[in-house]
Amino acid sequence: MNRHIAMMGAIARRPAGRIGGIIVCLVLLVAIAAPLLAPYDPLAVNLSAKLLPPNAAHWLGTDQDGRDMVSRLIWGARPSLAVGLLAVAIGMFGGVTLGLTAAVIRGVWEQLAMRTMDGLASIPLLIWAIAIVGIVGVGPVELGGWSLPNESKIVLLVGILYMPPLARVAYGAALLEARAEYVQARRLQGARLWPVMLGDVLPNCLSPVIVQATLLIAVGIVVEASLSFVGLGVEPPAPSWGNMLADARQFIYSGAWWTYVFPGLAISITVIGFNLLGDALRDTLDPRKSAGAGRLVI
Amino acid sequence: MALLEIEDLRVGFPVGGRMVDVVRGVSLTVEAGEAVGLVGESGSGKSQTALAILRLLRHPGRIVGGSIRLDGQDLTQADEATMRQLRGGVISIVFQDAMSGLNPVFPIGVQLTDVVRAHRGVSARAARDVAVETLELVGIRNAAARLGQYPHQFSGGMRQRVLIAMAVACHPRLLIADEPTTALDVTVQAQIVSVLRDLRQRLGLGLLFITHNLDLMAEICDRAIVLYGGMVMEDGSVGTLFDAPKQPYTRALIECVPRLSDRAGDLRPIQGASPVPAELGDGCPFQPRCALRLGRCEIKRPPLVPLDGHGVACWNPVI
Amino acid sequence: MTVPLLELVGIGKTYPLTQRLLPRLLGHRHDHAAMEDVSLSVPRGGVLGLVGESGSGKSTTARIILQMEQPTTGTLRFDGTALTGLSDAALRPYRRRMQMVFQDAGSSLNPRKTVGHLLGESLALVGVKRRHRTEHAVELLRRVGLDGGLLGRYPHQLSGGQRQRMAIARALAVGPDLLVADEPVSSLDVSLQAQILLLLMELRDRLGLTMVFISHDLALVHHLCSSVAVMHAGRIVEQGTPAEVLRHPRHAYTRRLLDAVPRRRTRGEKFKPQEERCDG
Repeated sequence: MNRHIAMMGAIARRPAGRIGGIIVCLVLLVAIAAPLLAPYDPLAVNLSAKLLPPNAAHWLGTDQDGRDMVSRLIWGARPSLAVGLLAVAIGMFGGVTLGLTAAVIRGVWEQLAMRTMDGLASIPLLIWAIAIVGIVGVGPVELGGWSLPNESKIVLLVGILYMPPLARVAYGAALLEARAEYVQARRLQGARLWPVMLGDVLPNCLSPVIVQATLLIAVGIVVEASLSFVGLGVEPPAPSWGNMLADARQFIYSGAWWTYVFPGLAISITVIGFNLLGDALRDTLDPRKSAGAGRLVI
Repeated sequence: MALLEIEDLRVGFPVGGRMVDVVRGVSLTVEAGEAVGLVGESGSGKSQTALAILRLLRHPGRIVGGSIRLDGQDLTQADEATMRQLRGGVISIVFQDAMSGLNPVFPIGVQLTDVVRAHRGVSARAARDVAVETLELVGIRNAAARLGQYPHQFSGGMRQRVLIAMAVACHPRLLIADEPTTALDVTVQAQIVSVLRDLRQRLGLGLLFITHNLDLMAEICDRAIVLYGGMVMEDGSVGTLFDAPKQPYTRALIECVPRLSDRAGDLRPIQGASPVPAELGDGCPFQPRCALRLGRCEIKRPPLVPLDGHGVACWNPVI
Repeated sequence: MTVPLLELVGIGKTYPLTQRLLPRLLGHRHDHAAMEDVSLSVPRGGVLGLVGESGSGKSTTARIILQMEQPTTGTLRFDGTALTGLSDAALRPYRRRMQMVFQDAGSSLNPRKTVGHLLGESLALVGVKRRHRTEHAVELLRRVGLDGGLLGRYPHQLSGGQRQRMAIARALAVGPDLLVADEPVSSLDVSLQAQILLLLMELRDRLGLTMVFISHDLALVHHLCSSVAVMHAGRIVEQGTPAEVLRHPRHAYTRRLLDAVPRRRTRGEKFKPQEERCDG
């Protein structure tokens, strides 16, 4: 526990970590507390108030259907973060499992797993997403009694494509750790293979995986925005930063700048925030791992 | 005038807002052509002293007091350009880990000639000749043929010889060897010691030999300085130090080393552990482990005073 | 006559250097014989000192004894049972009867686990119930001369000597009959070497532990060992009691080793080390 607190302290000490951390926390807070924070209903159409510039009643203005920008931006954070975080979660789960097992079991499974990952890695993310959603069609997913929104298709597709980079990182780290002397010592005491892998190897592989994952969250946000922009993501009227940009395309030359500047800023700032946090994480985690680096020679 | 004269050297590292001294007032001299052993364990400050001489301390460590005079010139005040001239040309250092001292992607010939050309500014051909000559001096056969080989093609002992060659190529007046044989097998260690002795004879090289191994130091050095907790405990000629150590730490150290000549089972360890620099107080650093400690040992550090031909820092020396 | 606890009979271990298929088929087989025809025997309660320099095969011997690798030829017997050729499952009950103390205690202890956690894991493997683990751990620490208060510390928070003692405690936790110590004091300060050596002697006497003590330092073996074997280039070149091997060495290599040990030489006695045979 102390180590984690110490780590968070180290991240907070870095300017990148502070800024990134604040941005990420704010965005998360906004997304989670959307119902509480949004001043208006994001879907409430009010044609008499359409395309109003920022004013006292609507701090960031209204869009072409008179809907409040602030509320739509707040609610729009949800799909962005959902895709980013859930896709990474899927990628981490699948990727770490494949990478770890490949490094430990080796042999045929190693080749099978890692070559499949190589193959998947060669598929460009956005093209793949557009192609699949294009084929499967836009619309809710019926699963049992549940109806999942269209974004869940994106989450799944992006999640699968996130597995290769995370698997590779986990594989590389696990190859090293599995040969560590303390792993050998445990095995010599009669510990079984998998408890040692999960208890000793896995925790030491997670650091580089987490760094990579943070950066992939940022990518996911951009992917969601791009797909929504081309109409394959969040279905209107539900707001997403991407589809808000799509709606605002027609206004680029006609002066209603608040319709595209704010969604664009929202995407950019969030992506920068996650990237900065990922950088700070990498800096804090890496030097600690190299034992003996900078040790005083007396 | 002595070749190297260190007076009250203090080296510190900032830790958590305050300065922790790891070298706490070390004074020693090395005459031209003399071989002096600097003996100490982890935490004694011996390596930091060596690095301080060459102003190679790793940031944020720095010299916080004292003077280091080479032929009268104070090195603590010298600028980087002067130091660069001195390093390799007048004072050289050989470290413990030969593999990290050599660049793995360059052949050793290149690394050797680099040193020669940097200090002597001679032509490539002349530098090459010096390189071959120096390699032969350290006992590497087929030197000319081996100039093109890479570090990984040499064994551990050979690599250490190459490092020594790099250090003596420009005929420095003082060679500092920091634990040069610690990572090597005992037979290889003996060969390196022989190389160093040979070099001393042929080049009139002064030697500051840093080690934690007393017996090894005795093989090669004329005088010894015993360091503990960042200060000098005792110094004197090797013979008198072994025959009649006056400082309790020196005596305990000599006795605790397991030797071939011991009776089986007759081991005399020093109880306790080496001190942590940050936790040292005003008294003698050895005091918690000392069998002869007095009340005043905890309160005040004993000064280094001459006693029967040794320098001894102790309130209660062994007479 | 009682069966020796550990017996190596004609053990050989070869590593193939050419690994690619075609050259091997064409006859370009370069193999490195790390061990050749090694035969050793350790009685229960005895301590074998295995002395050699790097490349002598002593570390490979340790790995073979602990069954971390299978020998290419020869048999290994533990308490009368041949272990070579047994399956992983059949070997498992023997694993805890022989334990290793590694040279670098720091890398043999998971840096992310506390001392208490590490000892607890080992105790769990021998069936100690969770509620008893702390008291057993404290007892283990006491036995190696460490204070029970160290349970909450991480390995990097211990000094070098403490870490080595901790590694010994961890090895003892599973109750082995045989302890293989691979250069346990080489990375320690000289003032700590005698301490750890004394500890090992105590454990030998009080627990009746059988040991194989591997070292490149001859000066250590006669304190602890009841028999000594000298290894060079994968072979045992000399074996006997410490008195025999150290005072009346028969093999030239043993004499070279003894001669190379640093010590004060009497006036006029000059040391002439043999030049390295090969230039590499």
